[in-house]
Amino acid sequence: MSAAIKGPSLTLKAREAISGWLFVSPILTGFMIFFVGPLIAVFYYSTTEWNLLSQQSHFVGMENYVDALTRNDTFWNVLVNSLVFAAGLVPLNMLLALGLALALSRSVRGAVFFRTVFFAPVITSAVAWAIIWTFLLQHESGAVNRALSVIGINGPNWLHEPHWAMASVIFTRVLKTVGLNMILYIAALQSIPRDYTEAARLEGANGWEIFRRITWPLLAPTTLVIMVITVVGSLKVFDHIYLMTGGGPQNATLVLAFYIYEQGFKFFNTGYASALAVILFVLILALTILQTILKAARK
Amino acid sequence: MAKLHLKELRKSYGTVDVIKGIDLTIEDGEFCVFIGPSGCGKSTLLRMIAGLEDITGGTFEIDGSRMNDIAPAKRGVAMVFQSYALYPHLSVYENIAFGLKVRKTSASEIKTRVGEAVTMLQLEKLTERYPRELSGGQRQRVAIGRAIVGQPQTFLFDEPLSNLDAELRVHMRTQISELHQRLKRTMIYVTHDQVEAMTLADKIVLLRDGRIEQVGTPHDLYERPQNLFAAQFIGAPKMNIFKLTDECQNLRENLKLDRNAHYFGIRPDSFEIVQPGEGILSGKVRLNEYLGNACLIHADIEGHDPVILEQPVGTKITTGTTISLNAKADNVHAFAKDGNRIA
Ligand SMILES: Nc1ncnc2c1ncn2[C@@H]1O[C@H](COP(=O)(O)OP(=O)(O)OP(=O)(O)O)[C@@H](O)[C@H]1O
Ligand SMILES: [Mg+2]
Repeated sequence: MSAAIKGPSLTLKAREAISGWLFVSPILTGFMIFFVGPLIAVFYYSTTEWNLLSQQSHFVGMENYVDALTRNDTFWNVLVNSLVFAAGLVPLNMLLALGLALALSRSVRGAVFFRTVFFAPVITSAVAWAIIWTFLLQHESGAVNRALSVIGINGPNWLHEPHWAMASVIFTRVLKTVGLNMILYIAALQSIPRDYTEAARLEGANGWEIFRRITWPLLAPTTLVIMVITVVGSLKVFDHIYLMTGGGPQNATLVLAFYIYEQGFKFFNTGYASALAVILFVLILALTILQTILKAARK
Repeated sequence: MAKLHLKELRKSYGTVDVIKGIDLTIEDGEFCVFIGPSGCGKSTLLRMIAGLEDITGGTFEIDGSRMNDIAPAKRGVAMVFQSYALYPHLSVYENIAFGLKVRKTSASEIKTRVGEAVTMLQLEKLTERYPRELSGGQRQRVAIGRAIVGQPQTFLFDEPLSNLDAELRVHMRTQISELHQRLKRTMIYVTHDQVEAMTLADKIVLLRDGRIEQVGTPHDLYERPQNLFAAQFIGAPKMNIFKLTDECQNLRENLKLDRNAHYFGIRPDSFEIVQPGEGILSGKVRLNEYLGNACLIHADIEGHDPVILEQPVGTKITTGTTISLNAKADNVHAFAKDGNRIA
């Protein structure tokens, strides 16, 4: 009658692992179907020549890539445009976000009001934002040029001169997105204990030194996150361009995401568009990895 | 030299008065401890001295010059924060050197001064570590190191030991005491631990609700508390207070208390247990707590609040028995109706 107590047949660790997998399985399934699936599909399409209209597809290997990278000048122009857009938007956005956060993170009078003002564009519809700015930036009747004429400046035709068009989409895009980065910076600033700045102040550091030696280094993780999402966001920009300039004038604002759209849905070169999408994907992935490595190396 | 002089010092946040008029002189080289219940304004007062809070009213002087509008860094003070406030992204060495660096001290000078501090605080092996890699006691030492390299005239400590375990607290307390003896600088130390206050202080400032209740040496505060609050705040277990009601006028005679005495107090260790009938009070023992070096006996006294008395360990007392208590007239503290000490 010695009924030895029989434990469960699996170890605790194994059972925990099983329930862990069970818990994540729904999201994992969704991730596979809706994310990994299309990703693989795009890779596959990029190796075909496929016209959506004629529904005819045949395998062409790397032909689409070779096409984009060697035979097609437009691609390189588009890539340069995308990089110019990112190079203008990212620093401007981050500097402005940091400046606003530094000014508005303290509990000064009106801080909450201004935080709301700068955050409002983030939650505004991109369509509405673009349309409003298109009106404001019109050549003769736009509010911007009329305001400029008051102080005697004859404003350019913002959206129809190549350089000004690029500057305009960058600037209006910064205003649309800076609020989010500002909020991230404010949250990070507020999580820095007050003791650090007080200790530094007692030791004789002035405002600039406190920022340079204490605040900025402590913001580094946040800066990395903000940089990654801003770079990625700037390379993926589409709606803003579509609505404000349609890629023009003379392709001056034709960026990668917009070019992909044109190739895929206007000219129905699905295979070629897929190859472009893969290139964009690789570009973003590479930049993100690079940024992370740079940050890790500085530690 | 740093003699601190606080005149009618006040602080309010909006309509809330936090410091309600403090007059205090702290001599050069003195070790002054601010003690008082939580929320009484100890930290606020210290931060006003440091310059981290602005002064709403009154004057604060160091060596006769008005400091109210002088920047914190120009007051010659260094502060050790309760949280230590070590910069997490800087190594121990860089933390200690920080103040010297921003003050544009020459590299060689920084090296010698940080070196001295590091040796003095036995941090030699830790200089390349980051704060997160240090124990509480080590962080505390780094914080002290950061304060001493600037060679300030005045040191401010805000509950520096409250995050340490009991043993380390005793150790660090003696270290701080030695530091004071070696540097001979003015030190102001905030605590709510009365053992720290009694052992470290030349002068104790007892605060309550933004006001000073008593200023004096540890001996003064223990032997001659100026009011009921001071009497009950200093000393553990706290002083037993009795109210002189009409029914117990005989006590007034027996203890030779002043005509105006309304309350009297007796410390737990001032009671003696005497033969039944010979004492001034009799009580029924409710509880006997063994502390190792003494016992605490809790007894109910008819017509008064229960008392606590401290007795040598050998005392054989069982709960439920009635004991007779006596106290020498010298050990009895008399207080008037308003709570202030008589004589
Ligand atoms: N920024 C502030 N605004 C309003 N009231 C404040 C502010 N800072 C402190 N107080 C109030 O001032 C009083 C004194 O605070 P203080 O921190 O000086 O107390 P303390 O004696 O150091 O207490 P503890 O022992 O708990 O540290 C408290 O009642 C507190 O609520
Ligand atoms: Mg405090």
